Amino acid sequence: MKKTNIILLVVIAVAIGVIVTMVGDFSTYETFATAREKEGKEFHVIGKLDTLQAMHYDPVKDANLFSFYVLDKTGETRKVVFYGAKPTDFEKAESVVLTGKMEGNEFHCSKILMKCPSKYKDDQVVVSNKQM
Amino acid sequence: MKFEGEHLLPGQLGHFFAILAFVASIVATVAYYNAVKVKEAALQDSWKRLARWAFVIQSAAVIAVFSCLCYILNNHYFEYKYAWRNTSRDLPVQYLLSSLWSDQEGSFLLWSIWNSVLGIILIRTSKKLEAPVMTVFSLAQVIMASMLLGIFILGYKVGSNPFMLLREAAENQAAPIFRQPDYLQHIHDGNGLNVTLQNYWMVIHPPILFLGFASMIIPFAFAFAALWTRDYTSWVKPVLPWALFAVMLLGIGIMMGAAWAYESLNFGGYWGWDPVENASLVPWLTMVAGLHTLLAYKHSGHALKSTVFFFFISYILILYSSFLTKSGILGDTSVHSFTDMGMSGQLLISMLVFTVPSITLLILRRKEIPSINKEESTYSREFWLFVGSLILLIAGIQITFTTSIPVWNKLLGLSGLKSLFKLDDLAPPSDVIFHFNKIQIWIAIVLGVLTAVVQFLKYKDTPKGMLTRKIWLPTALALLFTGLIAWKGTITYLNYGAGFLTAIYLMLFASIYAIVGNVTYIFTGLKGKMKNAGASVAHIGFGMVLLGVLISSSKMEVISIDKMKMLNDGFFRKESKQNPRENIMLPKDVQVQMGDYHVTYVGDSIAPGDPKTYYVMRYEQKDKATGAVKERFTLYPDAFVNKKENSLSSNPSSRHYLTRDIFTYVSAAPNKAEEAKADTTQYVSHEIKQGDSVFFSKGFIVLKGLNAKPQSKNYMAQPGDLAVGAELEVYTQTDDHFKLQPIYFIRDSSYQYSVEDTLAPLNLNVRFSKIMPAENKIELKVKEAAGFSDYVVMKALVFPYINVLWLGVIVTVIGTGMSIVQRTRKK
Repeated sequence: MKKTNIILLVVIAVAIGVIVTMVGDFSTYETFATAREKEGKEFHVIGKLDTLQAMHYDPVKDANLFSFYVLDKTGETRKVVFYGAKPTDFEKAESVVLTGKMEGNEFHCSKILMKCPSKYKDDQVVVSNKQM
Repeated sequence: MKFEGEHLLPGQLGHFFAILAFVASIVATVAYYNAVKVKEAALQDSWKRLARWAFVIQSAAVIAVFSCLCYILNNHYFEYKYAWRNTSRDLPVQYLLSSLWSDQEGSFLLWSIWNSVLGIILIRTSKKLEAPVMTVFSLAQVIMASMLLGIFILGYKVGSNPFMLLREAAENQAAPIFRQPDYLQHIHDGNGLNVTLQNYWMVIHPPILFLGFASMIIPFAFAFAALWTRDYTSWVKPVLPWALFAVMLLGIGIMMGAAWAYESLNFGGYWGWDPVENASLVPWLTMVAGLHTLLAYKHSGHALKSTVFFFFISYILILYSSFLTKSGILGDTSVHSFTDMGMSGQLLISMLVFTVPSITLLILRRKEIPSINKEESTYSREFWLFVGSLILLIAGIQITFTTSIPVWNKLLGLSGLKSLFKLDDLAPPSDVIFHFNKIQIWIAIVLGVLTAVVQFLKYKDTPKGMLTRKIWLPTALALLFTGLIAWKGTITYLNYGAGFLTAIYLMLFASIYAIVGNVTYIFTGLKGKMKNAGASVAHIGFGMVLLGVLISSSKMEVISIDKMKMLNDGFFRKESKQNPRENIMLPKDVQVQMGDYHVTYVGDSIAPGDPKTYYVMRYEQKDKATGAVKERFTLYPDAFVNKKENSLSSNPSSRHYLTRDIFTYVSAAPNKAEEAKADTTQYVSHEIKQGDSVFFSKGFIVLKGLNAKPQSKNYMAQPGDLAVGAELEVYTQTDDHFKLQPIYFIRDSSYQYSVEDTLAPLNLNVRFSKIMPAENKIELKVKEAAGFSDYVVMKALVFPYINVLWLGVIVTVIGTGMSIVQRTRKK
């Protein structure tokens, strides 16, 4: 067997290995209900801001605590806690993708990706606030 | 209806030229195709002549389209949707260019211009390869031009016309304003350019990046020409400088994007493994791989097939990246992708148009491609170049696989597999950065070591003992430097455990090894001949990039940690790990310690003609022992503040040192106007005698005495005034000590006035409102505002040795440039 072929085989094996380990990292999109069933694991939840309930950010008290309410796809409302500053233009966000986990009745998220309809425009702009 | 005040001519001209470019590029494609197919020399020449003319005409037409669009934007013709969407009257002129390529049409136009420029250069230089190479080029231009058509063909909308009028846009069909002939009277200003794009990097990054994209087609076209005409050898020499050029330009383009992210986005860094970034990095990796296998082939005859493969896949991946970013498929996963314009189908077709013929041809003619049957020796350079290229391919595969998650979801959905197995939609990993880093760090280690060692191997075979003789010195030096850095620099990045820290140290060695190995090679291998040292210089730069990335990210430190609140909440609770408390609140004029610095927020300022608000942050570094100030500087992080919605979009500001950057940005600021309205705190009255105290939440106030001749900047004494000042001393919990003197006075014997005194750091307002001579008392009215009336929330990071990264990029570019010069001269 040629050395090149052996190397190709090794490379293919490594590539498959890498891909398999990567798939394990992949997350899924959940609702609050399904995330609660698997409490403690991190998920993505897509939802809309619940504008009927107030969002809360008081940097004077705590600059790293921002809470708000989100309606998920099934219509369930949950309080969401984000440890960080309130993302810019958050009020305008039409839909949000939250990364985090359920803790009790609250969803604790470490990353927010939001889609804002920008002024006049009918298309959407994606903004995110990443935590390092 | 006749509309008033519209300027229709530039738009009509522009659209005409867009169609002309489309038609001319079709003519060029057909003519060049015939020039390849026809056997007779005379006919070939006439086809070629026609094709050249057609290509030149399409180039001129593309430039004319660009000029028309420029003209419209520059004159603020808001009847055009493009001008209205992306510009406003107050937009500084230099950002007019940014607005030109801020939408898809503009970016295609830019790409198309570069294709034209490169095409014309190739017409002049590629000699007998001209016809097949230019067939590919012209076809690419047909695709590009079709993106700008905006015409319905068989009910399918082909392309998007940048000259569409605002009133013609689909979303405006129902708007009553466009039923009035004088509607333009009511459109005073445009929507304005997205504020994150109002940055000087956005003027220069897109043209360079798109030149990189455009130049990736050249190796593709040459490789395709070789397969098509079955001339497998003559393309190798001319393609080499172009492959270098593509690597260089795409590399600069990507790193300029990183610099833009570093300077204008608040991700806290230059690279976030965002799908858009990944999508342009992968073709760069495969092109670098192709470049190295091409060198292997040139010197040993091995690896031609893989070179063709890498050149093909690189351009296909460029088209794939354009599909990912422009089709809107990344919507849920990326920060800065475009939105769907209903052109995904067209983008997909444009990808297939290049993928299917090239890959089919490669498979059909794989047996014809010259190759050497003899195995390469393990001690040969070509063997390890090939291995390195495969490693780059693995890096590309991993990045592409995860970046394509939305595509997998679509495919699983379309193929019915999702409903069959009841699969959920896949989502990106929750810790994306680590997901990539943990694989890519090993790849970087292997690549670093290969970069250091492979130069010392000779093509075909290396005499026994020669490698060890040459390599012991750089190895020993690299080990020594690694030891020194590890000892002095103490990298303790334990966020992801000891295993990852081991990898960090290995990568530290690998990157230093790459630098040292190549420096040594310049002296021992090339005997100091700099003319031939392009590759070594580029590799030194690559090693520096690896080193800079490693150190700046593993030793990156957030200094704006809110330690106070950490204690309040319980530092050892479960949440404290989740909540790294990286934002800190700075009340105005109160000094807060951050790492080695004492930072004071002094206020904000705005300048006429500049839409941004600048926050003035004063930094002081004090000597630990003496407390003397060693260094003082001021940073001005800024933000676009939208008054109506009180939203702000902020830009970082950095203090650059040779060895580190201090990176500051404002993450929140109060809406002062709103807060003043909302301040409903009442004054509380206190009747006190001399020596009495009044308590407030942060301390107490003592009345020391009364002053019959009070002086204050808020009080102008007039003859006949009867004025008394209350001399107050304020003591706080933190042992601070202030003086206040509110004044009470009677003017014209009848009017009572009170001059308030305030203590801004404590939000304390004190009024002297009454004198009660009978009881020997005075009345003080004290108000404590609920919150800090002026503050900012900010984040500050220290990036150590980030300059190594930027310098590494520059060195790599210089090295690649040297190689280009060297390779073109050899002709």
